[in-house]
Amino acid sequence: MAGEAVTGGALARLWRRVRAAVRSVRVETRFVLALWRVNLLAALEYRTAFISQVVGMMLNNAAFLVFWALFFERFPSVGGWGMPDMLQLFGMTATGFGLGVVLFGNALNLADIIADNGLDAYLALPRPVLLHVLAGKSRLSGWGDIATGVLCFALTADPGAAAWGRYAVAALASMTVFVSFLVVVASLTFWIGGASALSAQAIHAMLAFATYPLTIFDGTAKLMLMTVIPAAFIGAVPAEFVRGYSDRSLLQILAAAGVSLALAVVLFHRGLRHYESGGMAVSAG
Amino acid sequence: MSVGAAVERRVEGSQVRRSAAKYAAVVRTQLAHGLAYPGDLVMRSLTILIFMWVFIHLWRSTYAATGQTSVRGLTLNDTLWYLVLAESITLSKPRVATAIAQAVRDGSVAYQLSKPYSFLGYQAAVTVGDALVRGAVTVLLGGALVAVMVGPPPSMLGWPPAFAAVIAGWLIDFCMATLIGLMAFVVEDVAAFEWIYSKLILVLGGVLLPLDFLPDGFRRVAEALPFAYTTWAPARLFVSPDPALFVRLFGIQLAWLAGLALLVAIVHRQCTARLAVNGG
Repeated sequence: MAGEAVTGGALARLWRRVRAAVRSVRVETRFVLALWRVNLLAALEYRTAFISQVVGMMLNNAAFLVFWALFFERFPSVGGWGMPDMLQLFGMTATGFGLGVVLFGNALNLADIIADNGLDAYLALPRPVLLHVLAGKSRLSGWGDIATGVLCFALTADPGAAAWGRYAVAALASMTVFVSFLVVVASLTFWIGGASALSAQAIHAMLAFATYPLTIFDGTAKLMLMTVIPAAFIGAVPAEFVRGYSDRSLLQILAAAGVSLALAVVLFHRGLRHYESGGMAVSAG
Repeated sequence: MSVGAAVERRVEGSQVRRSAAKYAAVVRTQLAHGLAYPGDLVMRSLTILIFMWVFIHLWRSTYAATGQTSVRGLTLNDTLWYLVLAESITLSKPRVATAIAQAVRDGSVAYQLSKPYSFLGYQAAVTVGDALVRGAVTVLLGGALVAVMVGPPPSMLGWPPAFAAVIAGWLIDFCMATLIGLMAFVVEDVAAFEWIYSKLILVLGGVLLPLDFLPDGFRRVAEALPFAYTTWAPARLFVSPDPALFVRLFGIQLAWLAGLALLVAIVHRQCTARLAVNGG
């Protein structure tokens, strides 16, 4: 009888915790959706600037595609890859990057925000610091990357709802890995001070490695691109999943997204304990 | 010859020397400024290692796939050393258009115009000084990686002509970037023009791919435009130290430089005529 009461009490506590967690997720989802809505409305307020940035970024991406088109004109195949494969790889990387900078625009300058005591404004507010700071800004040019990615996919992939579904899942996984990687690098600022230059180099590296065929790299390099600089999970592996469903590639992209997200959240919050500031009277955004 | 004319020529000669010394001093100042923070300088130059590491893997696979040791006269070693110089030229140049446009927008151009030097001459000297420091570090880092992973650099005989071509290339780039920067007198934001220009340099300048590898028609168009002479010409001379090629490419560089410098001078004169300074 006493044992049943104890079990009942434990179950009730567990139930209360689950309900609290669900409520918290619901509240934070509403919060982040509101942030994204405000960011979008702000972008659309200056329509000409918005359109010019989107078109400009698409032209920027087109320059790289022209490079690859010229390259494959002279060298038809590299490591078994041709132009359609490159379009898929570039499209996936562009979509993941674009989603990342549109939805979590501050990820690109998180190291500067930490170094310049910019977290003060977020710490004073009753919202999760990491989520708030990341989603506090949206980069308009990211829409140009997303448009490039969708265009590349539409030009090369098999038509059909299943392919679009795979593309959506792969793009979200790619974005998660990209943003998480930036958070991990930026979090080093908590321990080593100004990591802005390191962060900039990490972004360069990530994008450079993610937009080249994985088959050109040897074993050690491939291992590095799946661990230290997880560029393979931003471009090549999600693109492979989009080309054709397999349990293995689905598991790979989901595991990469889950592990990198967990690492980013843990490292950022560990680092936050070391955060020191002289006090800044600034507004969050 | 009259004594008056001789004296006049000597005075002119001494003015040219003084003027050259003035801009040489600006270059030296920029060199010292760039070297003042060596850690920061090296950190900002590390990008070349990332690019070259990717390029080494890409071009090894590419040459292996063709089964040839030389493509269009370039071996794997040539191609990678070409890319070391091409990437270094591009990564090390300062953002001239942005700096000039900013000076025009915030009005500081009026302050600079009142100084006892040519505004454009000063900016050109700053560009060369900044680019020399960063370019040297970038070439050293990128070159070290290629030397270890691929092979030794091309013959040292080609280095002095290539260096002259690099300076000419930076000055051609400076002229084109200045024209974009001066557009700030007419339009509010020049970022879009700068963006397009950087992409033209990337593809038509031979930054990502030597122009030799382009389809013939495309290559001929690229070689007829000034973009090729900012990057492709110096990098090509570096890996092919041929006197005849140097005379041809360096001659074309000087012709573009003279034409563009004249255009910049005309546009600058017209723009400053529109300048209105209120107080300050």
